[in-house]
Amino acid sequence: MKKLFWPFVVIAFLSGCQMRVLNPKSDTADTLTNLIYLSFGIMMLVLIVVFVLFVYFLRKFRERKGTKFDVPADEKENKWLEITWTVIPILLLAILAVPTVKATYDLTSKVSGSAEGSKDNAMIVEVVGQQFNWKFTYENGKESYDELILPVDQVVEFRLTSNDVIHSFWVPNLSGKIDVLPGEETRLSFEPREEGMYQGKCAEFCGAEHTLMRFETKVISQEAFESWMQEE
Amino acid sequence: MNGMNVPFVGQVPSDIVVAWIVSILLGIALMWWMTTRKKWPLIWEYITTTDNRKIGTMYILLSMVFFIRGGIDAMFIRTQLAIPENDFWVFQSQKYNEVFTTHGTVMIFFVSMPLLIGLMNIAVPLQLGANDLAFPYLNSISFWLFVSGGVIFNMAFFFNAAPNAGWTSYAPLATDTFTTGPNNNYYIFGLQVSGLGTIFTAINMIVTIIRLRAPGMKMTRMPLFSWATLVTSFLILIAFPVLTVALLLLMFDRIYGTSFFLGEYGDPVYWQHLFWIFGHPEVYILILPAFGIFSDVISTFSRKRVYGYTSMVIAIALIGLLGFMVWAHHMFTVGLGALANSIFAITTMLIAVPTGIKVFNWLFTMRKGVVRITTPMLFSLGFIPTFVIGGVTGVMLAVAAADYQYHDSYFVVAHFHYTMIGGTILGAFAGIYYWYPKMTGKMLDEKLGKWHFWLFIIGFHLTFMPQHFAGLNGMPRRVYTYTWEDGVFLLNFVSTIGAFLMGASMLFVAWNLYKTHRLTDPVGADPWDGRTLEWTVGSPAPEHPFQTIPKINSIDAYWYSKVERKRLPKAEEPRPSPIAIQTVAPVLLAGVLIVMSVGFIYGWVWIQVMGGVAALGFFIYRVFHDERKAVYRKEEES
Repeated sequence: MKKLFWPFVVIAFLSGCQMRVLNPKSDTADTLTNLIYLSFGIMMLVLIVVFVLFVYFLRKFRERKGTKFDVPADEKENKWLEITWTVIPILLLAILAVPTVKATYDLTSKVSGSAEGSKDNAMIVEVVGQQFNWKFTYENGKESYDELILPVDQVVEFRLTSNDVIHSFWVPNLSGKIDVLPGEETRLSFEPREEGMYQGKCAEFCGAEHTLMRFETKVISQEAFESWMQEE
Repeated sequence: MNGMNVPFVGQVPSDIVVAWIVSILLGIALMWWMTTRKKWPLIWEYITTTDNRKIGTMYILLSMVFFIRGGIDAMFIRTQLAIPENDFWVFQSQKYNEVFTTHGTVMIFFVSMPLLIGLMNIAVPLQLGANDLAFPYLNSISFWLFVSGGVIFNMAFFFNAAPNAGWTSYAPLATDTFTTGPNNNYYIFGLQVSGLGTIFTAINMIVTIIRLRAPGMKMTRMPLFSWATLVTSFLILIAFPVLTVALLLLMFDRIYGTSFFLGEYGDPVYWQHLFWIFGHPEVYILILPAFGIFSDVISTFSRKRVYGYTSMVIAIALIGLLGFMVWAHHMFTVGLGALANSIFAITTMLIAVPTGIKVFNWLFTMRKGVVRITTPMLFSLGFIPTFVIGGVTGVMLAVAAADYQYHDSYFVVAHFHYTMIGGTILGAFAGIYYWYPKMTGKMLDEKLGKWHFWLFIIGFHLTFMPQHFAGLNGMPRRVYTYTWEDGVFLLNFVSTIGAFLMGASMLFVAWNLYKTHRLTDPVGADPWDGRTLEWTVGSPAPEHPFQTIPKINSIDAYWYSKVERKRLPKAEEPRPSPIAIQTVAPVLLAGVLIVMSVGFIYGWVWIQVMGGVAALGFFIYRVFHDERKAVYRKEEES
């Protein structure tokens, strides 16, 4: 099984730049991608140590003709070894925990409804999820369905709510998920950095056609956005 | 192809018609086989038994039947997802939702749980030097409640009403506002009834372990599987009542129009809290016994005492304790706020520490040992790298902010299959191959066992490794199709191939069972050169295995008695053994509960009343018919 594992890791690195989550196009997604790479790196370290010991012990101590009837002596636990594999994981986790908490605080004040006031320069988009489509309402009252139009390099703040069951708003290239709940308002904000078309999806199972509850996100230039807003 | 017109019934989806036909044919074949082979007396003996080995064997047998059901669901899922924009048979939209709901629920509650409970039934009393579980009658009730719950849940599909809100059954989707029909009522009652049985088993295990250990077997001398069972039982005792409460509230929302999870006063997030306060300990309930099995197996086949026994026990207890403090990591995207998310991120990461300790202890048990590669050992060896991969993705998921990306994507699907299959299912297989002689008196064929292992593990990694990347490429879970532009075709295609490989590996199990029972001779008491007490009694374990209870003076006492070529000393005053009887009451109670549940599922009040009265009748009957009374009276007189 280890033979299968490494090719996949290589493929992952080679195609990493194409995978949407690892191909961030906004400030928020950027932070998340870095965090993912950091945790992946630390965890690979752990994985390699375990795999090396595993293979080494297995090859060295496998039963052979000469050892078939051996009864190995009992050994006393080595205190220092036990302390090592308790303390080092704690240290590794501490290294991971600091950026985790920092990113969680940075992003969550933007993500959930806890922050009352919004940034002065943020553009506000109201999002309503319902079985099985998305409605987006812009600052001038313009509405669009299953198509989200955003200007590039402009902080946008979403205020999301649901008309029926729980949905979850997800544009992998631009940001993580935020659940869309009935009777409550959740928030999310990010700043797209590159023009383009990005897939958006409902990520919380919401019934029969959950699969089809998708939307297209178009990030366009600020001028193009202005003129789109004025269109009837 | 989607619907068939069945006379007197109307339009029925074709998969259900096929299922009815296959089930009826199989049923007839089974009846014919049992009658011509004169198996009915044997079956009657098993149905009415209170013996732990027989009940354990039935648990495992029935779990295997449900495993086939859940496995077929998985095959349907993988076939539908093999290529983009696929239209396989009926499995789109609501049909697909039903299939993944039943796959998840069956695999967790009717495969993993009963497989482990079955192994506990067989091995724990024997490991302790006890002649049965503390309450044999209650044990039989537990088993039949599990059967009852399993029947209720699986029945739904045959009546075209399979649950369809996911195994997590999130409100408000699972309330009657959004999912009408009886479908999710089946979910509620199936889990409620089998959950009661699980709680009784936990009580039974705790009392057995505390009261019935052989004299001299201090807690600090108990085999690790028994330790894992003890901690697991406490987790069940705390976690399952929370599920009971959650299901009861959901039932009131669905049937009696309350609004706990919906509307002005209710909140759907309450369901998520209740469900995961149960649900997260549940995954440790599933993994800890597997850890115990691996500890015993690795120690036996390294011919060495387990490394770091004390730290192993502490680690099990710590995992159990921390398991209650992490539930909200399933809810990072709900918007609980930065503080809550950070706290739950850190508690979740902490679980990696005791788990890591266990992994290193297993590795160091092999070090300086003599590692004999048998089938149970192969499954244990396969577990270590597999579970560690699942563990490290677990830590990645614990990074709360990063989880905003992973959450509800195929990354999560890959992660929990790495832990649940890589841990629980590999552990259950290891345990079944290991203790098979204690169940049946025969040993499964090693060569076919190894074929099973290799096909299964290769198929497993082929199936689930690509799913990590599908998730990172933006594929949400619980979708029945994807497009070419999504760029996840190859990943899904490989995954489907792997799934069929896993399915094929199970054919080797069937072949192995056939071969073992037709062509091989019974084995002796100790075919593996074991270390613990179960290997001192005959294979299969007789109803009253310990005629004289041994006195224990160390860990792995049986092993050291073999090394020193001495017999285990006889205990002076062991506690009296539990009393076995033959009784038909538990199976009747199970039948009554099925009837009552159907009454609730379809809202037929008279059936509810009759079922309720009959169920209460069993309590009254039991009050006046206690097989222990006569024995106690005799003891008092003497």
